[in-house]
Order: sequence, then structure tokens, then C-alpha cells
Amino acid sequence: MIAATRSELVRLARPRLVLGWLGLVALFAVLINTVMFSMAGGDQPPTGPGVVFPDDATLATVDGLVAGVSSAASMFGIVTLSLWALLTATDYSTGLIRLLVAAQPHRGKLLAGKVVALTLATAVATTVALAVNVGIAPVAAEGAGIDTSTWREALTVTLLAQAWGNAFAAALVWGVIGLVLAMLLRSSALAISIGVGWVLVVEGVVASALDRDTPWLPGSTLTALAQGGNDSLDLAQAAGLGLAYAGVGLGLAFVVGWRRDITD
Amino acid sequence: MSAVVTHDLSRSFGAVRAVDRLSLDLPAGGVVGLLGPNGSGKSTLIRMLLGLVRPSSGDAAVLGSPIHHPAQYAARVGALVESPSFVGGLSARTNLLSLARLRRLPATRVAEVIEIVGLQGRDREPVRRFSLGMKQRLGIAAALLPDPELLILDEPTNGLDPAGIVEIRSLLTELGRSGRTVLVSSHLMAEIEAACDWIVVIRFGELLFSGPTSELLGRTRTYVDVAPEHRADDDALASALTAANWPVTYAAGAVRVTADRTDAAAINRAAAAAGITLSRLEVVQDSLEQVFLDLTGQTDGELAAARANRPHGQVTR
Repeated sequence: MIAATRSELVRLARPRLVLGWLGLVALFAVLINTVMFSMAGGDQPPTGPGVVFPDDATLATVDGLVAGVSSAASMFGIVTLSLWALLTATDYSTGLIRLLVAAQPHRGKLLAGKVVALTLATAVATTVALAVNVGIAPVAAEGAGIDTSTWREALTVTLLAQAWGNAFAAALVWGVIGLVLAMLLRSSALAISIGVGWVLVVEGVVASALDRDTPWLPGSTLTALAQGGNDSLDLAQAAGLGLAYAGVGLGLAFVVGWRRDITD
Repeated sequence: MSAVVTHDLSRSFGAVRAVDRLSLDLPAGGVVGLLGPNGSGKSTLIRMLLGLVRPSSGDAAVLGSPIHHPAQYAARVGALVESPSFVGGLSARTNLLSLARLRRLPATRVAEVIEIVGLQGRDREPVRRFSLGMKQRLGIAAALLPDPELLILDEPTNGLDPAGIVEIRSLLTELGRSGRTVLVSSHLMAEIEAACDWIVVIRFGELLFSGPTSELLGRTRTYVDVAPEHRADDDALASALTAANWPVTYAAGAVRVTADRTDAAAINRAAAAAGITLSRLEVVQDSLEQVFLDLTGQTDGELAAARANRPHGQVTR
């Protein structure tokens, strides 16, 4: 598996891919903080598909420093899902999988290597998102007239580590969902369409159709996980459900990868 | 030891039997040519040998290890299956480095295979800028990475210019002479004839021929094509030669006599005796292509019709 991971990391180190991925999460961090703080002071904290902003009281505390990362977890999730799906499906669509399996017939090791490499890349992307967020949040907050003088004193490594851990865990599950969709569909376009469509449209429709709280649906669960727990799910519940989604997804991916003939 | 042994190996995709009870024994060392028309099962056979596709029934061994456990021989086998596929945004060198890492090979091996296939100087360019021929060379370089005992190449000269084809042919011959086994599938008969020591011909996934190239070439026939000075004498010439007990047909604007090359002078005399002056007398030998077509059928359309008319699972030898 280590050899497969090292091989995958070489393929991931494409300047355009790295710059695209990290640039996108940085751009999202800037946009979300700008919008989030500029809308502070309204009657209701704004929400939308994949975005849940905290209230003004929370933004005024040091939690406002990392609120951007947790508030738009689904947006970061979509980026992660898309890249995991793209990097998995293109192995099949380009035929690269033939070379890989001929060199390493243990398909489980190949897939495990890919998952580990993408997990490392997601960790880097989460770190960049958090770093940009921490850099831009005070500027955006002060621009919106929010006093950030207490943030510096109240800032702790634990707060940053928790924010990073929650965002990373949520992104990881989104990534696994992208990988599973790509393996099942062998098309990055389809996998990304379904993933994005779920977050932006389908989950909301399902929740409305069921006419009751649906915190267990993937989007809601992973939003709760990124926020470190919320009113619907506490952190333990969100983590448990996220783990279940990831476990089932990875199990499915391994079975499909192991059983499927490579005729691409 | 045999390089590849298959026993009643079959693989079906739905109702289509791509490989049908194929039993083969390919000797180790030398270049083995795998011939067959489109859809004959060549690629499916190669994919089964590499562990990409599982057989429906039967068994096989590669370098003495069963194909159900491809990990046992993967380190000793290099392969190029269909068109070479790489990450376009990465250089040739980085693509090969990625495969070298997967095979736990040192980075120095990458430089070696780049030199073998003649890509030095272009190896740091993104693969997306490569021509098909250069990608093909890169694919062969990837197959050579593990310094394989068995090299499996599916249409390796696709997209190469004539000079590149000659180069790859020399490389294959050289690899075959060095004790490796090179299994190469191709549609180019001249290619196979020039490079291969052993030939396998399959059709509808069934084995039609497996043996030394010389044995297949021994099936070629010799003809003597003769043309009279005046076309009006065609029938008279044919009659005269038939009377002399030579089988005669009309082909390529001439009277075609099935005869050995040593009969040419006697044919000329027989024509003269009938009062016919020849404007052409030419000894013609079947090409490997003709032998192949005789074995497999003629055109794709005829093959498709033959497949459609064949009851499922019936062996047609």
C-alpha cells in the first residue's frame, strides 16, 4: 500500500491540479468570510444550500475567526468530492487503470494507496483553507464593524485544531462519497453532478418530502460534523454517522474495485 | 518452461464468447505474434493474462504461476494494453516515475527505459504534447520498467512512422534474443512475419494455429502468372496449360497457374507450343496475409456474418 500511495502522490503533484485545488479552497475561504461578515447585523443569520452562517453573537467571539471554515463546510465538501471523483474516474476514463492493475494486481492495495494519498492532499487543502480563513476573517470582521480585539487573546491552539479536525473529517467523508460515485459511474462528470446536485437540491427536496427533521442525511450530518456539532446532531452523533457513511462507501468502493473487470 | 499455458480458457460477455476454450502453450524466449481479426479475442486474452479480466472458465498460467493470482508474476511481466494511457499534465519521466514507485523500482530505471525507447531529450515535456508515436514509445518504456521476463504488447507499432516501426521491430527482436518472451499482437502481417519466431492465430476466441512462423509460412503456395501478348489469347492459353495438367485460374489480369517456380520454363514452352507469345511470366508466392485470410476468413463483414450464423458455443475449425 505504501508503494501505491507513493505512486499516487507522484501523480497528484501536478502544478495545475495543486494550484487549482488549493486556489479554490482559498478563494472559497475569502468569499465566505467576506459574505458572512458583510451580512452580519441582519435579523436572521442567512442560510442557503450548503451554507449555514452563525449568529452575530458567535461572530463577535473568537469563534468568528474560524466560522468561515465550518459554515461553508458543504462548499468545501463539494470541492473535495469533485476532486476525489475526478482523480478516481479519470483513471478509468483514460485507461490508466490498465497500467496500474497490471503493475499492482492487488486492487485493494491500489485503492487504499489512492485513499491515503487523497487523504493527505485533503489535509493540506484543509490546512490552506483554515490558514486563509484565519488571515481574512479579522479583516472582513473589522470591515463589517465587528470588534476583534479580544480574538487574539482568546485564540488557542485547541480552537484551531478543533476547527481543522472538524473541517477535515467532513471533507474526508465528502471525498469518500466522490470516490464511490466515481467508481460506480466511472465518469467524473456524472459523479460530480450527482454529488453537487445532492447538496444543492436533492437533500433539501428529500427533507421537505419527509416533512420531518432529517439530520442524518449526508449534507446535514457533514455540516454538523464540520461545525463540531449543532442543534440537530452533537459532535459524537455527527462523527458516528460520518464514520458510517465513510465505512459503507469505502466498503462499496473496495468491492466494486475488486470484482469489476477492467475493460476500459 | 512455457511462458504462457492456457487450458480450455473461456470468457464470455453476455451472450458473446470472446475467448472460447482456448488451449495454448507458448514457449519461453523469443517473439510470439498473436494474430486475429478485429473482435477475435486477442485483447480479452491479453487482459486475462494480466489479471484485468477474470476468465469465465478454464485455467492458465503465466511464467508458471496461475492467472488467478496475478500478483505472483506481475513483477516479472511488463505490458502495453491497447493505446498507452498516461497523465497528460505530467512529463514522460514523472509518469514513469509514478509507475516505478508502484513497482518499487529505483528512479534510475526510469532513465534506462527512456534511453531504450529513444525518448531522451523529450522526457521532461508534458505527455499531452506527445504525438501518438511518442506515446506509444512511452507505453513500451512503461512495459519495460520491470525488466520483464515476459513482455506483452498490444499493437505496439500503432501510430509509429516507418522508421519508428523498424526501430521497435529491432527492439522486439533484440528483447526476444536476450532470453525474454515478447508476446505481441498486431494487425500488420509484415511486422509479425519479420519479427516473430512463433505465431498464434485466433478467430472468434478459438485457436486456429499455434506454431513456429516457418510452419505457417510453409503453408504458402506458389503460382506462375502468365499473360499472353494479345488478351484474346487468354482462353487458348488457359486451355493449353490445362491440357498439360496444370490447374489454372484467372487472377490479377493474368492466367494463374498453380505450379512450382521450377515449372516456369515448361509453362513458357507449353505456351509457345500453342503458338502464344507471353508478354509476362511471373512467379508469385502467397503472403502471410493471404495465409492469415485463408485461415480466418476474409473481410470483417464476412467474419461478422460467419459469427452471426454460428450456433453459440459451436467450434468451427
